[in-house]
Amino acid sequence: MRQLAVSGLHKAFGAHPVLAGLSLEVSAGAFTAILGPSGSGKTTLLRVLAGFERADAGTVAIGERVVDGPAGFVPPERRKIGYVPQEGALFPHLTVASNVGFGLPARERRRPRTAELLDAVGLSGMGGRYPHQLSGGQQQRVALARALAIQPDVVLLDEPFASLDAHLRASVRADVHGICKAAGTTAILVTHDQDEALSMADHIAVLRDGRIVQHAAPQNLYRMPADAALASFVGDANLLDGQLPDAGAPRMVETILGRLPLEPYCSAGAGPGPVTVLLRPEQLELIPGTVGTASEPGTLAGHVVGYEYYGHDAVVRVKPDCTSACPDVIVRTVGGPQLAVGAAVTLRARGPVVAWSR
Amino acid sequence: MKTMPAPVAQSGLAPVRARRTPRPAALLTICALIAALLAVPLVFLIIESRAAGWSAVAEQIVRPLTGTLLWNTVRLTVVVTVLCAILGTATAWLVERTDLPGRRIFAVLLVIPLAIPDFVVSFGWSSLFVWVQGFRGAVLVMTLAVYPLVYLPVAASLRGADPGQEEVARSLGVGRVRTFVRITLGQARGAILGGCLLVALVLLAEYGAFEMLGYQTFTTEIFTNLQLPTEVPTSCALALVLVAISLLVLAGEARWRGRGRVARSGPLTARVMAPLHLGRGARAVSLTGVCLLIALAVGLPTGASIYWIVEGGVPSVSNSVSVSMLSAAWHTAAYGVSAAALDTLLALPLAVLAIRHSGAVRLFLERSTYLVLAMPGVVIALALTYFTEQYLGSAGYQTAPLLVLCYTIMFFPLALVGVKAAIARAPASFDEVARSLGHSRLAAFSRVTLRLAAPGLAAAFCLVFLEVITELTATLILVPTGVQTLATQFWQYQSSLSYAQAAPFALVMIAVAALPSVVLGRFFNRSAQAQGLDA
Repeated sequence: MRQLAVSGLHKAFGAHPVLAGLSLEVSAGAFTAILGPSGSGKTTLLRVLAGFERADAGTVAIGERVVDGPAGFVPPERRKIGYVPQEGALFPHLTVASNVGFGLPARERRRPRTAELLDAVGLSGMGGRYPHQLSGGQQQRVALARALAIQPDVVLLDEPFASLDAHLRASVRADVHGICKAAGTTAILVTHDQDEALSMADHIAVLRDGRIVQHAAPQNLYRMPADAALASFVGDANLLDGQLPDAGAPRMVETILGRLPLEPYCSAGAGPGPVTVLLRPEQLELIPGTVGTASEPGTLAGHVVGYEYYGHDAVVRVKPDCTSACPDVIVRTVGGPQLAVGAAVTLRARGPVVAWSR
Repeated sequence: MKTMPAPVAQSGLAPVRARRTPRPAALLTICALIAALLAVPLVFLIIESRAAGWSAVAEQIVRPLTGTLLWNTVRLTVVVTVLCAILGTATAWLVERTDLPGRRIFAVLLVIPLAIPDFVVSFGWSSLFVWVQGFRGAVLVMTLAVYPLVYLPVAASLRGADPGQEEVARSLGVGRVRTFVRITLGQARGAILGGCLLVALVLLAEYGAFEMLGYQTFTTEIFTNLQLPTEVPTSCALALVLVAISLLVLAGEARWRGRGRVARSGPLTARVMAPLHLGRGARAVSLTGVCLLIALAVGLPTGASIYWIVEGGVPSVSNSVSVSMLSAAWHTAAYGVSAAALDTLLALPLAVLAIRHSGAVRLFLERSTYLVLAMPGVVIALALTYFTEQYLGSAGYQTAPLLVLCYTIMFFPLALVGVKAAIARAPASFDEVARSLGHSRLAAFSRVTLRLAAPGLAAAFCLVFLEVITELTATLILVPTGVQTLATQFWQYQSSLSYAQAAPFALVMIAVAALPSVVLGRFFNRSAQAQGLDA
C-alpha cells in the first residue's frame, strides 16, 4: 500500500531552485532514507512534507489525502506527521513525560499512555526527568516517542544522529530502526551519511539537484548505481575505462584487468563502444609480489602507493604498471599482510561489473 | 563525507511560482503599526516646525547661541565618551583577564553606578563640593555615572571571546602588548563601540545633572524654552539640531563597526583562559585604581545622601518626607508598571519578526525602531506636549496616559533588546515540533515559545521599570499636575536647596534600582553567551 506520494514538487527560495520536479513514492510501513549531499534539498523536502513550507508546484499526498497541491494546503497541525528534528528539540521546560504527552489530548496525557510510549523506547521510569538530564541518545529516543505518540501516518527523521558521538550512533540507529519497525510506522530518514542509509533503510532515494536520481534497495543501489557520479557517492569506487567488444562476446567488457562479465541487469552493452566500468574495492583481489608474468590474462601488475589500516580491514592504493595513463586503483583487503609503499603487487578482478556508455 | 559531482547535463528549469508559503501578514501589520507609533514624535516635531515656519526655525538655528550649545554639547560628548571608553575597557580587562584580587566582587560593584541616576551622582558631588560645576564638573560627574555602559558589553565580549586567538598570536611571535592591541582590543571592538554609542546618546539626552552643574547643552536649553510658550520656533530648531546630532552619532557607530564578523572553527566549547598574572607593582596600582573608581562613583553619591540626612537630623527628616514619599513611590510604581507592561507587549511582535523571519520588510521595520534612539526624552516630551495642546486642547496634556505613552516610546528600544534575547532562547524548531504534534500557530507559541521566553520577558519588564523610576527630564515636563514621582519630588527638594529632604529620595531610588540591575546584568550576560554559542 502506498503511504506517501509526492509528484512534480518544485520549491525555490528567491531565484534559487531547491526542489526541481521531485517525485517519490513510499509504501506503508517501509523505512526509507533520503540520501543526498549537503545543499541537495533534503531538509527542504522534509519541511514541505511536514507543512512548514509550501511547495511552489506539485502535490504531496499522505495516504489518500492531498495535503499540498493546487487545490489547497493542510497546515502541519492537521497532517498527522511525526517530526523528529536535528538535535531532537525536546521542550526544555517540560519533563520527559510532558514532552511525550505534548501532542495528546489533555485527558490522554495521564500516566498509562505516556508510560507505555516510554516503555516502547526503553526509557521506563524516566518520565519525571528533564531533557538536560538525559544523554544525547536518550533525548533522541524521547523525541521519537513524542512523535509516535500521535500515531502519525509518517514519521520524518531529520538527520537525527548527526549530533551523536560516533560510538553512540550505531546503537541509537539500531534502537530507532527497531522502534519504528515495532510501531509499524512509515518512516522517512534524511541523511548525508551513506553508511547510515545503507545500514538502516529498506529503500534509499538519492537526492541530487532537487530530484530523486535513484530509488532502490540498499544492495541494488550499491551494486548497480544509476550513473558514475552516484557510484562514487554511495561508496568507494574504481571507475575504469572499458570497451564493449564487437559481436561474439555478449555481456562482456574489456578493461585493463582483462575481460569481465556484465551484471545481468546492466543497461549498457547493446553494442560496441567505450564505457565506464565500476569496480568496488572489495571486487579486487590483491596478491603480494608479481605472479608469473604480468601478461597473465585477468591480472594487472602494479605497486603500492598508499596503505590505510582500519583494524577490521585495510585500504590499499595501487598504481598500475600500464603504458597509458590510468588512474590509481583502490583495493579493500581483509586480513592481508602489511604492505610497504612501493611494494610490487598483482591485482585480479572478480565480476560481474556495471558499466555505463560514455 | 563524499560530495557528489553534478551531472554534466542539467535541464534548464524556469523557476515555477504557482503558490507561496503564506507570509505572516498579521504579524507584519501589527509590527508596522508599532513602528508607526514610535515614529509619532518625529512626525509631530516636523509638523510643528512647519507650523512655526521653516524660515523662523532656520533663523533660530543660525543664532550664535546655537554655536555655543553645539560647542558645549560636542566637546562634553567627545571627552566623556573617550574617558568612558578607556575606563570601561581597562576595568573590564582587569576583571575578566587578569588575576586582580577580588575580581568577582568588583564585577558586581563596577556595574552599580548604572543604577544610580545621573542627577543623583551630580547632586552628591555638587552639594558637597562647590568646585564641581561647569565643564569640569560635568566631565567628572558623567564619566563616573555612565562608564558601566562601556564596562558591561566589553566584559561580556572578553568573557565570550576565543582565548585561542591570543594564544595563536603569542605562538606566532607577537609580543604581549601587541597581542593586546591587535587581538584583544580587536575582539572587543564592537562592544567598545556599542558602549560608546550608548554613552554619547545618554549625554545628548541628559538634563538634570547639567542643570544642577550650571552647564548648558541643547537639552537644557530646550527644557528652559519649554517654560516659555512664545518660543515654539526656538524649541523646534534646537530639537531638530539635537536629533540631527543623535542621528550622526548612530550613523557613525554603524559605519565604524563595519562588517567585521567573528568566525570560529571547531566546537564552541566555553574554554576558560588562564588569567594574566599581574606583577606586584601593577597589582597594587590596579587595585587602588579600581577601588578609587568605585569609591568616587558609588561611595560618594551614597555617602553624600547619608551625610545630608544625618546633618538634617533623622527624626525631623523622616517626619517631613514620609507622606510625600509614600505618594511619590505609589505613582512612580504605577507609571513604571504600566510602561514596562506596554513595552514588553509591544516589543514581542517585533522581536518575533526580527528573530524568526527574514527579508527586506522585516529589516526596514526593525531598523525604523532604532530611530527612537535618536530622540532624547526631552524631544519626545516636547512633541507629545505640542500634539496634545494642538489637537486635544488641555484634555491630554499632563495626564497619566500621556506620560506612560512617553515612557513607552522612550524605552522601547531597551525593551526590544531584552525581548529579542528572550525569543532567541526559544528556537523556531520547538514551535514547528509543537505544530507537527497538532497545535495551531498560536497554541504552539503560547505553550512553547512564551514559556521559554518568560524569564527574558520578565527581565525586559524590569529593565523598563527601572528606567522609568529614574527618569527625570520627560517626567518633569509631562507629570500630571499635583502629582509627584520619586524623581520629581527629589528634584523639587534639591532645587529649593532642601538637601536633607532630597537625600532620602536619592537613597530610595538607588536602593530600588541597584539590586535588580545587578541581577539583570548577570541575566543578560548569560543570555548573550548562550546566543554566542548557538550562533
